[in-house]
Amino acid sequence: MTAHKINIKHTLGLILIFIALIFPSDLLAQRMRGGGGGMRGGGGSRSVSRPTHTPSRSKQAARPSTSQRTPKRSINGGSTKTKSRDFSNKKKTTNRSTTNKTRPNTNNRATTGQGKVTNRKTSNVKNKTTNRAGNKSGNKIGNKTGNNNRVGNNTRIGNNNVNINVNNRNTYVRGGSRAYVRPPYRYGGFGYYCHRPYFYHPYTPFYWGPVYHPWGFFVATLATTAIIVSITNDDTNEKEEYNYENGNYYLKTEDGFVAVQAPIGAEVPEIPKEAQKVEVDNSTNYYYGGAFYEENKDGYIVVPATAGTIVPGLPEGGEEVKIGDVTYVQFGQTYYQPIQVDGKDMYEIVEVKQEG
Amino acid sequence: MKKPLFLLSILLSSYLSFSQTDKTIDSTAVFVLDKMSDIIGDLTSVTFDINTSVDKVSASNNLIKSYSKTTVTFSGPDKLLVRTDGSRGQSGFWYDGEYFTYYNYDENNYVTLEAPDTTLEMIDQMHLDFDFTFPAADFFYPNFTDDVLEHFNTIKFLGKKTLDNEECYHILASNDNIDVQIWVSNKTYLLPKHFVITYKKESNRQYESTFSNWSLNPDVPDRVFHFLTPPTAKLINILKKS
Repeated sequence: MTAHKINIKHTLGLILIFIALIFPSDLLAQRMRGGGGGMRGGGGSRSVSRPTHTPSRSKQAARPSTSQRTPKRSINGGSTKTKSRDFSNKKKTTNRSTTNKTRPNTNNRATTGQGKVTNRKTSNVKNKTTNRAGNKSGNKIGNKTGNNNRVGNNTRIGNNNVNINVNNRNTYVRGGSRAYVRPPYRYGGFGYYCHRPYFYHPYTPFYWGPVYHPWGFFVATLATTAIIVSITNDDTNEKEEYNYENGNYYLKTEDGFVAVQAPIGAEVPEIPKEAQKVEVDNSTNYYYGGAFYEENKDGYIVVPATAGTIVPGLPEGGEEVKIGDVTYVQFGQTYYQPIQVDGKDMYEIVEVKQEG
Repeated sequence: MKKPLFLLSILLSSYLSFSQTDKTIDSTAVFVLDKMSDIIGDLTSVTFDINTSVDKVSASNNLIKSYSKTTVTFSGPDKLLVRTDGSRGQSGFWYDGEYFTYYNYDENNYVTLEAPDTTLEMIDQMHLDFDFTFPAADFFYPNFTDDVLEHFNTIKFLGKKTLDNEECYHILASNDNIDVQIWVSNKTYLLPKHFVITYKKESNRQYESTFSNWSLNPDVPDRVFHFLTPPTAKLINILKKS
């Protein structure tokens, strides 16, 4: 009895296959009706679903062979839709897959299959690190009074690593005391606060005069008037020694000295006359070579940048970075917004706050 | 012991009642959207203009409107060119299947990034990582109608309306936060003509766009989608959103 049933099934199956071979276009038509845009729209799926030849169709002669032409690919792989849409049921449909993604993945599309050629220069992608505005954790002054009288460059010790990059430790921003009238520019969960409106101008490093050496500048020897400034790093508790001369700070290398950014906490007896006065929270600081100085009885001490301070120019070492719709100049953790004051291109130090 | 069980039952019942939220879906509206989506899905390339106005809520709760005109060109699954000119400046996107470039004409600087293999994946990634917005991109997703069905409780067909001398099907999709009105042109092809998004919980601010100058399946050279750096333009870095 069971064998008889199997034989009947086999016979029916063979008949169906025979009918299918006789009427291929009918089957195709049924598939198209139910298949939606994915079948009609093309893309990678179209060439797979379409038979290589359909001899029973009269239109075939007019259409060029699909194997000979370059397949045209849909701009989105063809529309797709869920097959069962029951509009009589007014309740929420539950047969649709829901994912956290707001948009569908489109993995059913034929891709080029070619490896990516990486010979084009691409932008660096920056990640926002924790905001350290107002979070003083920088350097301690190693020897506030003793170093100023030390002269000479022959006793260079310790770290010979050349550092011509921006040292993040020396770029944190103190929060300003003035309230911001303007709403911040918001991007990625952070608010970027400024007192003045954004006015873009290209970043071109400022040159402070003949004695100024941009960061990374190499000199074989220093004048005997150079002094050694000793700074203790709070994080590593290591002592770092810089050579200071005419507003420039140098780290010793094997062959000579390389100019670096001013270390926060460094105290020097004098700064170049080209230093500009800048208003910082109703007090006056001096600005030279990208560093801010506060005057005290012993001389000048390098202090962190304060948000809201307006500076006329920026040294080398900055990078222009696109943050949403605006382009800032970034030095480590400090962002400078391009602004215009009385027709002159300037920069304002941005206060970055994490938004609740 | 009874209290937690009671709370649990309330939670369960609220969850179940939420999952059974009433939906009002008009089959005519869905048919029109499906048809429009099918036509878009059938395109191998397309160029169109889109005029957009966007409301922004200011700090003092005023609505500030900005306008822009964008020309968009899709070609195949992995080519896109977008040129925008508006009150917020002039900019462009180039995507050639390998690299994505954003160029700001006013600032004369640009960002070039390696990009996914397909246009829609690229749009997703650039929006997610860097907040780039591509006008009317939703219409070009293959399951546009499914997206509408999933995110809106009410989808209505409001009848035929004439807009800019074109007969259009007027469709409304609505949920608690957003109303979307779409006018689909009935002129030869069912293509989007106009749409308005109203953000009901954000001072009813609106995003409004009008499509024009549709060119279907134009033959666009691939080199068009390759960004050619202007001589003085500067490559800059970019901050990831999160």
